[in-house]
Amino acid sequence: MGNDDLPMDEKAKRMRDLLSSFYSPDPSMLVSNNSPSKYASLDAINTPSFDPDQYMNLLTKSLVTTVNGLDPDQSMNLLVQKSNLEGLLQRHVEMAAEIKNLDTDLQMLNVFSWFSRGTNLEHVFIYNSSISRMNSNIVGMEANMEQLLEKIMSMQSRSDGVNTSLFEKREHIEKLHRTRNLLCKVQFIYDLPTKLNKCIKSGAYADAVRFYTGAAPIFKAYGDSSFRDCKRASEEAVLTIIKNLQGKIFSDSESIQSRAEAVVLLKRLDFPVDSLKSQLLEKLEQFLSQLQLEQCETANDSNHSNEPSNQGNAEATTHEASVVWTDVLLIDEVLPEAGLADFSLEAAHVAIKQYVTSRFSHLIQDISDSLTAQTGEKDGEEYSLLVTLEASKKTVVQGSMDILSDFRQLLDDKLDLLMKLKGYIIDWVQEGFQNFFRSLDDQFLFLSGKNETVSQDQGITDGLHGEKVLARLVLVLAQLSVFIEKSAIPREIAASFSGGGVQDYKHGPAFIPGEICRIFRSTGEKFLHLCVNMKTQKISVVLKKRFTTPNWVKHKEPREVHMFVDLFLQELEAIRMEVKQILPQGLVHRHHRSESTGSTTSSRSNPLRDDKLIRSNTPKGRSQLLETHLAKLFKQKLDIFTKVEYTQESVVTTIVKLCLKSFQEFVRLQTFNRSGFQQIQLDIHFLRTPLKEIAEDEAVVDFLLDEVIVAASERCLDPIPLEPPILEKLVQAKLAKSKEQNPPTA
Amino acid sequence: MQGGSSGIGYGLKYQARCISDVKADTDHTSFLTGTLSLKEENEVHLIRLSSGGSELICEGLFSHPSEIWDLSSCPFDQRIFSTVFSSGETYGAAIWQIPELYGQLNSPQLERIASLDAHTCKIKCVLWWPSGRQDKLISVDEENLLLWSLDSSRKAAQVQSKESAGMLHYLSGGAWDPHDVNAVALTCDSAIQFWDLRTMKKENTIEHPHVRNIDYDSKKKHILVTAEDESGIHIWDLRMPKFPAQEFSGHSHWTWTVKCNPEYDRLILSAGTDSAVNLWLASAPSGDNPSESLVESPTRQSNPLLNSYTDYEDSVYGLAWSSREPWIFASLSYDGRPCAFILETCGHTGGGRISEAISSEKMKANSLVLWYGTIPSHCKTLLADFEFIGIHTIYFI
Repeated sequence: MGNDDLPMDEKAKRMRDLLSSFYSPDPSMLVSNNSPSKYASLDAINTPSFDPDQYMNLLTKSLVTTVNGLDPDQSMNLLVQKSNLEGLLQRHVEMAAEIKNLDTDLQMLNVFSWFSRGTNLEHVFIYNSSISRMNSNIVGMEANMEQLLEKIMSMQSRSDGVNTSLFEKREHIEKLHRTRNLLCKVQFIYDLPTKLNKCIKSGAYADAVRFYTGAAPIFKAYGDSSFRDCKRASEEAVLTIIKNLQGKIFSDSESIQSRAEAVVLLKRLDFPVDSLKSQLLEKLEQFLSQLQLEQCETANDSNHSNEPSNQGNAEATTHEASVVWTDVLLIDEVLPEAGLADFSLEAAHVAIKQYVTSRFSHLIQDISDSLTAQTGEKDGEEYSLLVTLEASKKTVVQGSMDILSDFRQLLDDKLDLLMKLKGYIIDWVQEGFQNFFRSLDDQFLFLSGKNETVSQDQGITDGLHGEKVLARLVLVLAQLSVFIEKSAIPREIAASFSGGGVQDYKHGPAFIPGEICRIFRSTGEKFLHLCVNMKTQKISVVLKKRFTTPNWVKHKEPREVHMFVDLFLQELEAIRMEVKQILPQGLVHRHHRSESTGSTTSSRSNPLRDDKLIRSNTPKGRSQLLETHLAKLFKQKLDIFTKVEYTQESVVTTIVKLCLKSFQEFVRLQTFNRSGFQQIQLDIHFLRTPLKEIAEDEAVVDFLLDEVIVAASERCLDPIPLEPPILEKLVQAKLAKSKEQNPPTA
Repeated sequence: MQGGSSGIGYGLKYQARCISDVKADTDHTSFLTGTLSLKEENEVHLIRLSSGGSELICEGLFSHPSEIWDLSSCPFDQRIFSTVFSSGETYGAAIWQIPELYGQLNSPQLERIASLDAHTCKIKCVLWWPSGRQDKLISVDEENLLLWSLDSSRKAAQVQSKESAGMLHYLSGGAWDPHDVNAVALTCDSAIQFWDLRTMKKENTIEHPHVRNIDYDSKKKHILVTAEDESGIHIWDLRMPKFPAQEFSGHSHWTWTVKCNPEYDRLILSAGTDSAVNLWLASAPSGDNPSESLVESPTRQSNPLLNSYTDYEDSVYGLAWSSREPWIFASLSYDGRPCAFILETCGHTGGGRISEAISSEKMKANSLVLWYGTIPSHCKTLLADFEFIGIHTIYFI
């Protein structure tokens, strides 16, 4: 076949040229695949002077692709062969593909020849001959292939030879390598103590621990024999490390992060972590309580500091909280099982709650201070109730608004920790307000001395304050209650609440302005009543003394208006002055009425009264009088005890009415002779004018004064009234005398 | 100030201050009242509530020498009573007996059993021990407390002991503890004094000024109610005398007198110079409310004032519960018009009467219903109609 090589090639080439000239296929599609570079590289691999490192690389690489089940010892050898064989196989495949191509080419040519047969017989002939030649070519190729195989086989055997010759060398290298590693390790272990000490010195505990844990298995295995000294030395070093780490953990000066790291290192050193953990937890608890303390301190600080610094308190608190929270987050990262976040949340819970309550209690203290500060100073000559009232009002509103803005600021800071508690905080603040106003109410009651169970210990001292101060205070309290009910809550506080309305109510809003308003409305009324009662009581004492001291049955003829009227009027005037300071004026003005009804009533009532008194001497006339009098009383009864209103006139009038009623009752308890009766008549006559000036309701005052005279006449054994001219004379004398005594007031 | 049922009226000729329940009369609900007239002949009226409870009938009218400032009926003999009287500068106290055959006599005269004439200053009141037969009697004047031993058969009263209340303590009245025959509470200007009759010594004092009247709760020991001029009504637990246990607003003017119901504790009546009588229900002391009913009245919690009777034309000074029918009380205003009021009550017997009461004509007036014990279930639907009928004061005790 070898002889035919050349002509075959020639033929084929010609044939191809022919075909290409005819159909223009790719001219170089056959032989080009025989690239010698692969052989070269394979040869290069197989050269004995290969680089061991490269070899190692190759080894690792090829391990991945090696056929399973091969003995690792032989792997190297095989691989040398394999890379060769691969090349061969590749070539074989390529050739097979060539053959296939040729086959298809042939078939195609056949087809073409069929087509062209009819057109060109010559062509047909050429085709036929070329086909037969190609056939023989292919046969020739088969022989070539066999030759090739032979070559491959020989190459393989040769490479085997190379391999075996290299094997020993390789093994040796490997051994050397292992020994070197071992030596390194031994070196490392011998160096360990010094290294550890170095680490301790430099504080690189993490490295030290890493070194030690690396060496630990060796110490475990050989520690008793060859490395004893070494082991001892390093263990000592490690002990110092542990000690240092522990110290680090429990030292407060270290940052939380480094402490956490220390814990991790200790854990790696197989230190009994459980005990450590408990210790640490204790420590952390301490830490937490400390945090709490800090918060409390902040809260306290903010409470004890005065107004100017109030604004900054919320900031301080938030700042504190934020610091704490970042710390906590750090701890939480390294020690999730400690549940620090929960702890701190709880702590924050408590702290904020405390803060809220303390804020409110402080505010209450402020308010009561401002109330008592001025009213309490008995000596302070010029203290006006108005000032007290205004100051208290301001304290209430300003204090509440401060608290609100503080908390709003707290919420606006969007601190993580606080955001979690946001709902709670809002609830607390609302609840706080609710409780605040409730306890403010209690405090008011306490201050008024009304709530005696509360004032258990202070009752005595309060009593010492004297009725005067207390009554003033009560008046202020009454007005303050009204203020809170009418404007402070609905306008200021409730309004700002609705502005900051947050959805997070679980049981509905905790702050119910309506309820508070109701409470304060009733409290205000209570105080007003209390105030009126106190004033009346005071005048009652004057009246009582007046009626119990003299012997009315043996009374002497009246010479002048009795002194007690001065006292009585003086008291009323004082009340009027006080009331004037605080309470608003009523809508109805006095002069308005005195022009119309008042004057007519008084002018009419005088002769009527005299008439009555004269007639009352006879039994028949008396019963008649009684009837008319009863009818009158029935008609006007509701007018006497009307509801007290928050106006100057109403309060003063109520007091006058109550006092006159008391007057009547005192009279009813006595028995008078004629002179005693006349004395009462005279006193009442004198009182008539000033009382009508003081009180709003002239008709009722007239009526009540008449009632006193009627009562006196009923209780008189011989009720003969003084003649009007004498009355007038005595009254004028009294007026002149009082003018004389104190001209400036007149 | 509405809602008082119109009472059963009666008329005295003159002004009057005192009325007393005739406790010893177990057959009738009757009251004694005496007039206060400086110049006319004074009278003592024995009045009885008719069996139908619709009117007050005069059972006896007796003349009395001078104006009566205090009157109280003997708790164990319905014909005996005491008065404190004065006339001008003179004053006195006496025990009287209603003549046995007064119904047949034309002008019966009261028989004076004894004169309590050991007083040296104005006498304030005479006290009988409220809980039963007791031959002792207490009289109080402005300065002294006198203990008398009374022998009604021999018609004599002797001073057993006499003790001064102390300088500058002007006594104004008192009450005898129904639970303790040896304990008496006296009121003076500035305090309540508690006396032990065995030793005749002041045992205790509550500093509380302006007390005008005082009454012990006859059902609950240690409970005392006081009425003050301006500051209303206080309930005291004598075991904790420092502070009042409860406080009511009292009256618009002075609260003149208070009376605890003889049967139902916590039910208190007060009269005042504002021409009104108020009925109060004290809240149960915390810890012991044994028969609290199923129905909780919301108004009761907030407002202890159950009702206000305002149909008076003058100050009301006299007030008395009937001990025989403890849902009836009598009041007396200064204009001499005693008035009996019946609180509608259905007793303990169950639903029959309450449904009757609800449907009856009487209930359509604004009457006060007191219901003791639990409500029978079938009555609850009836109770729902109350509002519709127009009754607005129903209280369940």
